[in-house]
Amino acid sequence: MSQIPARLFSPGLPAAGQDVVLLVEGKTLRILEPSRYLPERGIQLRRVGFDLKGLELAWDDGAGRHALQILDAQAAATLISALPPTLHEALAALALSGRKQRRARRLGWSALALFFATPLLMLGLFLAFADPIAGWIAERIPLEQERKLGEASFTQMKAELQLRDDSEGAQKLRELGQRLTQGSRYNYEFHLADKTEINAFALPGGIIVVHSGLIRATTRPEELAGVLAHEVQHVELRHGLKNIVKQLGLTGLWMFATGDIGSGLAGSAATQLLSLKFSRDAEREADAHGLDSLLRSGIDPRGMPDFFRILADKAGAPPAMLSTHPQSAEREQALRDKLASLPPVPAKPLGWQPWPPAL
Amino acid sequence: MAMDVIDYEIFGNEMQYVEIELDPGEAAIGEAGAMMMMQDGINMDTVFGDGAAQQGGLFGKLLGAGKRLLTGESLFTTIFHNEGVGKRRVAFAAPYPGKIIAVNLAELGGTLLCQKDSFLCAARGVSLGIAFQQKLGAGLFGGEGFIMQKLDGDGMAFVHAGGTLAVKDLAPGEVLRVDTGCVVAFQPSVDFDIQYVGKIKSALFGGEGLFFATLRGPGRVWLQSLPLSRLANRIVMAAPAAGGRSREEGSLLGGFGNLLDGDD
Repeated sequence: MSQIPARLFSPGLPAAGQDVVLLVEGKTLRILEPSRYLPERGIQLRRVGFDLKGLELAWDDGAGRHALQILDAQAAATLISALPPTLHEALAALALSGRKQRRARRLGWSALALFFATPLLMLGLFLAFADPIAGWIAERIPLEQERKLGEASFTQMKAELQLRDDSEGAQKLRELGQRLTQGSRYNYEFHLADKTEINAFALPGGIIVVHSGLIRATTRPEELAGVLAHEVQHVELRHGLKNIVKQLGLTGLWMFATGDIGSGLAGSAATQLLSLKFSRDAEREADAHGLDSLLRSGIDPRGMPDFFRILADKAGAPPAMLSTHPQSAEREQALRDKLASLPPVPAKPLGWQPWPPAL
Repeated sequence: MAMDVIDYEIFGNEMQYVEIELDPGEAAIGEAGAMMMMQDGINMDTVFGDGAAQQGGLFGKLLGAGKRLLTGESLFTTIFHNEGVGKRRVAFAAPYPGKIIAVNLAELGGTLLCQKDSFLCAARGVSLGIAFQQKLGAGLFGGEGFIMQKLDGDGMAFVHAGGTLAVKDLAPGEVLRVDTGCVVAFQPSVDFDIQYVGKIKSALFGGEGLFFATLRGPGRVWLQSLPLSRLANRIVMAAPAAGGRSREEGSLLGGFGNLLDGDD
């Protein structure tokens, strides 16, 4: 026999219920204060309480509907183990519906979790497979769009660059560029900027800018051709575009995942365009393809590793180019190894005099 | 901990405050910032957590405070302690138009579940806890969120509701359908759930949303006629400064109507 604290809601009692004690005496259920017996048949069981851990026994009689609630989880468990056999069937049904409800709840929570996790998941996937995804998307962007992108950022930086496009050096640049880009699907533009740092860069769509400092650092035109060949390959291989796609995708997914909309998508894309840092793999790829293009256009390819030698020797010089193109010596070695494995190609020296040309 | 038996009086009609009379040695706890006035002789003490029975050590206190943060209350509770010789009064004001509900927890079996953020003040010994909604649907669409406030004890507690208050006693099995957001408090014996409005047309154009909150007896429930969010929404919608548009009567005249009605 066990005594269980419960609360009784009955016609005639306060609407907010009254505390009673439930006694389980063998097959009969009895309440104390007010003293009552529960009917043997017709009791319905239900899970109650905000945490659904309580138990309600409800029944009807002439006076109306009665409900006896045991809200305390432990007391409810005690009662369940002590319920008379007449209620075992109802108990089994209760357990079954409880299992069903739990399953539905788990399903619901999982769906909710999935809903919130999806953006994060997509972000993770994008991070893991950024290169192939960006490549795939970049291939689907028309050339005109790419060109527009490049032109837009070129317009932005034009004021700072101090172009010397009518100098002799710029003319040589265009001449070399034309030889290197024959048969390309891009329309190239070559610009000479009056800046002392040893640097050159390519914008998407075929705009290539070389600093005068770089030309001054070269000892012969073939070295400049090596640099140009490298930059042209950045355009041909769409490295800049892939970078932008990657950045945009990351920013977009990041905003999607965090709900942080409007914190300068355009701004970050512009900075990306301006800095244009390529991955080491991209640099290596551009080196290899650049060497091939030098061979194709009949320019002495040794100018390329030679220029890396110059860069490596100048390690103390302004680091603009060194920082984005690390390990010049390593790249020089890779190029020399590749050249050694090829049959020697007869290439007529360009022999432009004087070198460097007037800038 | 024994509850303090406090006498109280509620003043005002639509913007109320409750004045609590404390015998010497008695105390009341109030939501931080709810105090309106207090007589000389009442000492104010701010405690971390909910100020109920001793909570085991620092960890218990932190847990209690964390729970209070979840329910939208401040981290601290203020205890108002009468250290004078005679009876002293302290008053707590409701933060927005509505009614103050005085609940004797002993009558309800010791527990009341209420909308978070609705607690105003209580006799010392009433503990403030949280109850986590187990039903996904009710949590998402029931209008009360997943977390409700749980008041435990057997003293008086004062809860605040918006607009006009409705107290309904539900017989066993009796079901009341309520607009979501209008439920302020209910006894734990009441089953709180949601119900789909039933027809696509009603769901889309009826203006009541997709779901009703359902309250199933037995037990007592407290409903508010005007949830604060609804009031705030209307005020923002009517406030040009907040990007809303004042909607005047006589809209046929449009801008001219505004000139003519003399409000500006």
